[in-house]
Amino acid sequence: MARYAMVLDTRRCIGCHSCTVACKVHNDLPVDMIYNPVTTVGPVGVFPHVHMEFIPLLCMHCANPPCVECCPTTASQQREDGIVWVDENKCVGCKACVMACPYGARIPNHEKGVVQKCDFCKDRLVLGKEPYCVATCHQRARIFGDLDDESSEVYRLVNQENVVRLLPELGTEPYVFYIMD
Amino acid sequence: MSKNIDLTQEGIQVKRSCCFFCHQNCGVLAYVKDGRILEIEGDPNNPTNQGALCCRGNIALKHLDHPARVNYPLKRKGKRGSGEWERISWDQALDEIAAKLDQIRNEFGAEAVTTAGGTQRTDDWARRRFMNLYGSPNGFHNAHLCWIPTFMVETAIYGWCPFETDLTSSRCLVQWGHNPGASGMPEMRGINDLKQKGLKVIVIDPKFTETASKADLWLPLRPGSDLALALAWLNVIIWEGLYDAAFIENCCVGFNELAQHVKDYTPEWAAPLTWLDPELIREGARMYATNKPGNIQWGVAIDQSGTPAGAAMHARALLRAVTGNLDAPGSDLLTGPSKEFITDEEMEANEWLPEEQKAKQIGSDRYKITSWPGYGKIAQLCKDVWGKAPTAEWMCEAHPPSVYRAILTGEPYPVKALLVSATNPVNSYGESLQVLEALRKVDFLVTCEYWMTPSSMLSDYVLPIAGALERPTFHSVYGCSDFVIATQRAIQPMYERRTDFDFWRDLGIRLGQAEMWPWETLEEANYYRIYPLGYGVSSYDEFVEKVFYHFPEREYYKYGRIGFATPSRRVELVSSTLAELGYPSMPTYIGPAENENDDPDLAEKFPLVLTTGGGFMPFHHSEHFQIEELRFLRYEPYMDINPTTADKLGIKDGDWVWIETERGRIKQKANLTQGIHPRVIVTQRGWWYPEREACEPELGGCLESNTNVLTSVADKDCDPIGGSWANRGLLCRVYKVESSTITSGSNGKDGK
Repeated sequence: MARYAMVLDTRRCIGCHSCTVACKVHNDLPVDMIYNPVTTVGPVGVFPHVHMEFIPLLCMHCANPPCVECCPTTASQQREDGIVWVDENKCVGCKACVMACPYGARIPNHEKGVVQKCDFCKDRLVLGKEPYCVATCHQRARIFGDLDDESSEVYRLVNQENVVRLLPELGTEPYVFYIMD
Repeated sequence: MSKNIDLTQEGIQVKRSCCFFCHQNCGVLAYVKDGRILEIEGDPNNPTNQGALCCRGNIALKHLDHPARVNYPLKRKGKRGSGEWERISWDQALDEIAAKLDQIRNEFGAEAVTTAGGTQRTDDWARRRFMNLYGSPNGFHNAHLCWIPTFMVETAIYGWCPFETDLTSSRCLVQWGHNPGASGMPEMRGINDLKQKGLKVIVIDPKFTETASKADLWLPLRPGSDLALALAWLNVIIWEGLYDAAFIENCCVGFNELAQHVKDYTPEWAAPLTWLDPELIREGARMYATNKPGNIQWGVAIDQSGTPAGAAMHARALLRAVTGNLDAPGSDLLTGPSKEFITDEEMEANEWLPEEQKAKQIGSDRYKITSWPGYGKIAQLCKDVWGKAPTAEWMCEAHPPSVYRAILTGEPYPVKALLVSATNPVNSYGESLQVLEALRKVDFLVTCEYWMTPSSMLSDYVLPIAGALERPTFHSVYGCSDFVIATQRAIQPMYERRTDFDFWRDLGIRLGQAEMWPWETLEEANYYRIYPLGYGVSSYDEFVEKVFYHFPEREYYKYGRIGFATPSRRVELVSSTLAELGYPSMPTYIGPAENENDDPDLAEKFPLVLTTGGGFMPFHHSEHFQIEELRFLRYEPYMDINPTTADKLGIKDGDWVWIETERGRIKQKANLTQGIHPRVIVTQRGWWYPEREACEPELGGCLESNTNVLTSVADKDCDPIGGSWANRGLLCRVYKVESSTITSGSNGKDGK
């Protein structure tokens, strides 16, 4: 069984937002819905001694996803390969998951009355393609793959580079990893 | 355009097309069924983007059939700018335009017809061909602000522009006024890759850009002071003995003279001009000179600096020469033109333009290197050594501000018609108030466009143009690369759109040029161009599908075999070509277009230093403000200001502020950032508001936040060598927009 994960190499990200736009356009999201914003941190410091970082965000596809646990209708689910997704037919739009997610990755769709989120483009994975945000990234700052596959790039990066997870103290165990400079 | 489309269904063809939303021309695969594009994605086999696409690339299908696109030929019904249009046929439009151009030629001479272009969306060899055969030398682009004078100055000194950076074995890359992190995504990927292998990156930029955030060294110079920095680098490299003695001995002339010339341009001399610490200047020069091979990547900043631009290009060019970073592995390569396919220049029919018409080119009396006097000389040298010349379109043009002035004043002679293709001059050319006045005044205005822009709003005719997915693209870096990447149209143009090639050809045929346009389609013309490559294909589309691109085998040190394309056949550290044209043979210091040292009174009134308009995601020049999938990222224009300065002026983050120069003022929102010097202001370029009214007097809010209201095109602010006008290093002041000043026009002369 695969265990999908993503590595975000912030050494390479330049905050161009291509991933944000690719996700929005190809997933047919309304303009006010963003699954994967990129935040710019900085310039920090005082001119000319400054630095700046770009942090791409998305659903962390946690091993212990609070959003799944709290869902009253079992619309929020986790697959065996780790992908956390929402069955729109079961979702009643109660937004309990929006409150529960510490990463802000749950987005209400006001047109449909349901909550939606990044699902690692699971329908594309079936076709053997990478998520849109990964395929579109010129900088190769997003690396996607199967962490159970020891020959994969994500396996190598997670095990060889100095990776961090966001908010590790919450015990959610994200499967999105960050390489920081 | 969606995950909901089944791309495995029967009958889908995959077309190898491209993106045209900047110059990188990234490859795009288009999934086409029954003449409609169902989906696009980055082409993984395209050598440029390798499957990736930026923000703009991703919205290709939104652009293709956006409800605001112009899809049919339009003729104005009411007064110019009234917003009242009548749909007409292409035949009617072309017949009427041709009749008018014929009348103008008979009455005022062919030179009274001019054409304005923008950034590449076009096959402008066709435009040049039309103009040459029609008899007018007065085509122009924003060429003077973007690479072209650099190309010509460098070609004057060492026989070609070394724009191909051989980065794979480079050890040091200088990004001089260039931010690929926001404007050239594939380029930035290469830098990211090579940085991890140890490439040193120096960024010279007043702003702490995306690229600067990844650099080893950042030199935040005063905007427009690039010349002082380049001269100081020459001083350090020569007088600290960091130059390449063998290259200078074997390949250059004039080294001793140059050494004496730059002797006093020390880092201590440059420090107060550049606002950089002398040690930082030294560190940069040493890093570049001692990490060989190295590259200096071209960026627009110097081209846009006005008065000192030509001298700064000259000094920057000499840095490559004295370090021997020319045509060696890992350095900047002198590829020369393609000897294998038919180049743009060979398609232009330049030999058909009579000498007396060349002499009438507007601005060629002053700005010689980018017009017939300089181009003619340099093109001949290139032909002698390389066998072919650089493209004349772009490299040899009328001086745009002088053309707009001619429309307004009738000097040096009347200009009666302006044919606009792929540009929105009100937002793209310098001193917008003057450009707008000229567009309102010119007798006859035709625009070839995707959208109803502020400039097309003022036109007599607006013609619908095909986009990147609806046309083949022959990518050869303005006709000057030795390689070609060829892509095809995914679909025939939608509605009644046509390519610009069709426009110029059909107009030419109506004006007696039929024999000179043997190719009925752009594919036929492109096939003619690639035929000599000898791949044995029977059509252009077959070339795209089977061959795709042609890169000749790389030959380093070509000068050993053929010399440099200069009069001495060497690198001319003392340039005979520039001297013959009446310019200094070595770069001599000139201050920024407006500066506190030469004009302290002006600096008192306008105490801040302005640089206008680097590229920023997701827009490109004045494009894409209509597309909500991009606009949501940046809904409004922002200017950068240091928090210390903002605090003194009572400006908070997100406040609307006026930015004002001697030319006028505009409104943008304040972005407080430590990424710039407290005395520097950076504005965003291009802004207009397509959601506003598309007629007079609103014209899409084209002046309100338009940074070109602030720029200067006065002859005194233009580079005497190449004609660049001043977009960088201007003096300005900034103040908060208050209720009492919010409604005034953009010319800054009222409301205060």
